Parts: sequence; structure tokens; C-alpha cells
Amino acid sequence: MSATPKTPDAAAIARTLSTTSARPPGRGVLVVTPSRCTACRTCELACAVAHGEHMRPARSRIRAYSFGENKNVPVLCLQCEDAACARVCPVEAITFDERIAALRVDTTVCVMCMVCVPACPFGNIAEDPTTSTIVKCDLCGGNPICAQFCPTGALVFEPA
Amino acid sequence: MTRQVTIIVDGRPVVAVEGESLLEVLLAQGIDIPHLCHHRALEPYGACRLCLVEVNRKGWKPQWRKITTSCNFPVMSGLTVYTGTERVKKHLKTTLTLMLAEAPMSSRIRELAGRHGVTIEDVEARFEDLDRENLCIRCGLCARICERMGHYAIATMGRGGRRNPGAPLDQPPPDCVGCAACANVCPTRCIPVTMVDGKRVIWKREFAMVQCSVCHKAYITEEQAMFEARRAGLDESYFETCDECSRREIARRFLEHVI
Repeated sequence: MSATPKTPDAAAIARTLSTTSARPPGRGVLVVTPSRCTACRTCELACAVAHGEHMRPARSRIRAYSFGENKNVPVLCLQCEDAACARVCPVEAITFDERIAALRVDTTVCVMCMVCVPACPFGNIAEDPTTSTIVKCDLCGGNPICAQFCPTGALVFEPA
Repeated sequence: MTRQVTIIVDGRPVVAVEGESLLEVLLAQGIDIPHLCHHRALEPYGACRLCLVEVNRKGWKPQWRKITTSCNFPVMSGLTVYTGTERVKKHLKTTLTLMLAEAPMSSRIRELAGRHGVTIEDVEARFEDLDRENLCIRCGLCARICERMGHYAIATMGRGGRRNPGAPLDQPPPDCVGCAACANVCPTRCIPVTMVDGKRVIWKREFAMVQCSVCHKAYITEEQAMFEARRAGLDESYFETCDECSRREIARRFLEHVI
């Protein structure tokens, strides 16, 4: 049996984030390799730490599902070209940010009508009831934190 | 064509896009300007009269000052802006006193008024017969957002203190789809939305919800799904599954096809 990779805790992630300077935002692709995923869910924790002060993995923008041994899949926004969420948004709050090649929700424009949440065929846009906002993966503005902390290389960010 | 111009805000130069809302520029600078009726999904309107600033325009004598709402004042070259001046504070106090008299039970108005030195005691001493039930400040944001959403279900009726939002003759609005955008943007949260027997009740109407085909969680109303599907040119089946269940399903399908 192979040893489980050592995974950092929330405090360690927060510490690393505060000491390392952020890479300048840029375009890139977050490559997901499910066969490498161990469903350690460090990505969920990293995402929760990186997004806001609440740090709740329950509202993480990435989710790692496990269907048994070596059957693990991390799921996150696919940044669709013709995205259903952006198409249904009545106030055009979801737009494609060319700078970082990601769909972003402008929460100051959003009116919380919730149409985008069930509209996404992949379920990658959700409501955060605590802050009353819509949350989705924004590739951390061009430097995904989940990929930085993935211990097995299931998530790798490749700058374009 | 957007043109960048430099304006002077409280003595500091600020670069902004010509024609942009002055309030947006000031807020982006981290300046605390109170505002209630402004929403970024809409054109500026200037209903609440709280985002006051003093301005001096190009060609004016340096001592000239005009007091104006910043939300619907466009950025222009040669503009000098003064925020939080004595004159602004005085006018803000008057507006907040009237607003607090209008909606004395609104916690948001109370908090905002308190921050600018207006207390409920001042208002009680000055006005008789305060309407202690009312929360609406008659800003019309609900009707404006309804129009933006494409429904035109509600509008404001009457004028001045009787400018009430709603449908004609206070009847349930036939064009309403129950999206609750009006209630979500309302600055004083005065539009009630309730869930009764799994149905959303708003504007005296009941709306059946689209329930997730797997877990029965509901986000939007059936009429909302119908309207948005038609507008976006998507099939209504897009709204049948909730985010959680869709995500699990997509993970399962990934497993089948990729690994």
C-alpha cells in the first residue's frame, strides 16, 4: 500500500498564502487529471481559505468526489465558451474575463435571482447563503490556489 | 470610444473614464459615500439623494461649488470634487431625518442615520404620527430592477410620500414571475417573500417552484424557468437539477468515460 501524501491543514495554507507573493494574474488552463486524485480534499480547503474570511469548505468552488478506491474526481467550473450561466443571467452579471480566461460573477451587479445555479449543467455555480452571493471558480484571478496545494498533481495550472 | 480623464477628488488626482458615474469612481477610491438606490445593474437614478458631493466644473470660478448627487453626475475633464464637506453633511442630515421619519422601523436607515448624527429621538421630537409599520423609502429600485429583468410587473404608483411600488390597483401583478429580484435589491428589505407549502409567495401571488429531480431542492419558480429559458434560448430541462446533484452526476460520468 502506498503511503498517503501528507496534506496541509487550513492554518498551513493560510500561512503559505500570506508569505508568498501572488503570481501576476494571467491566462491559463487548470488541467484536471482525475486518475491522480486521491480525494484528500486539500483543494477544497485551499479554495475555502483563499476565498473570503469564512473559510468553509462546504462552500468551496471545487469539490472532490470519491466513488471508491482510485475512483476520485475533482469537479470545478469548466469556464465554458458559451456558458449556460452567463446566457441565462438577466442582468449580465456573469461575464468572461479575457484577461484571465475565466467566467466571473460581478456580485455588485447580481440580483440573486438564482437562475444560474440550476442552469449550469455541471453544477459548478452555487449560492453562498451566509454572504448571500453567487460563488463560482474564478481561477483565483489567474493563479489557482487549489493547484498550488494539490499534493498529487491532479490539479495543475498551465499558464498560456 | 472611452476617454480617460483626470479629476481632482479632495485635492488628489484620480484617473477615471469620461461619462462614468462619479459615485462609482469615489467608491472605488475607498471613499465612504452613503447610497441606497444605486445598483450596478441599472442606470443611475438619483432617488435617495444620499450620495451628495460638491463639485466645481471646468470654466467655473474656483470658489463656485455645486451640491449634487454623485451617482448620476458623469465624470468629465476638469472636474473638482469635494466629499464630506460641511455643506454635504448638513444636507445629508436633513435627508436622513426625512428618511427616518418615512421609515422609522428600518434598521438599515436607523444605522445609517445614526452614523451621520440623526437619532430616532430627534425624528420623534420633530414629527407627529410616524408610520411605524412602513419600511419603504420610495426609492423605486424594485420597479427599476423589475424592468431590467424584463418583466415590467411592478411600477411605482402615486407621488411623493404616497409613491408606492406595486401592480395597478394593488392587484397581484400578472406579469410577475416570482424571481424576487425586487426583494433582493430593496435597500430596506421591505418586500416580503415567504415560502408557504413549498410555494414562493410574493406580491400576493403564489409561485410553484422548480424542484430538483433528484433531491427536490428548489431555487427558482416555474414561471421564472419558463421565462429565462425562452429569453436565453435554452431548454427548460437545464433547470431540472440542482447544483449539488448536477456536480455529483458529472463526477460520476467523468469516472465512466475518462478513467
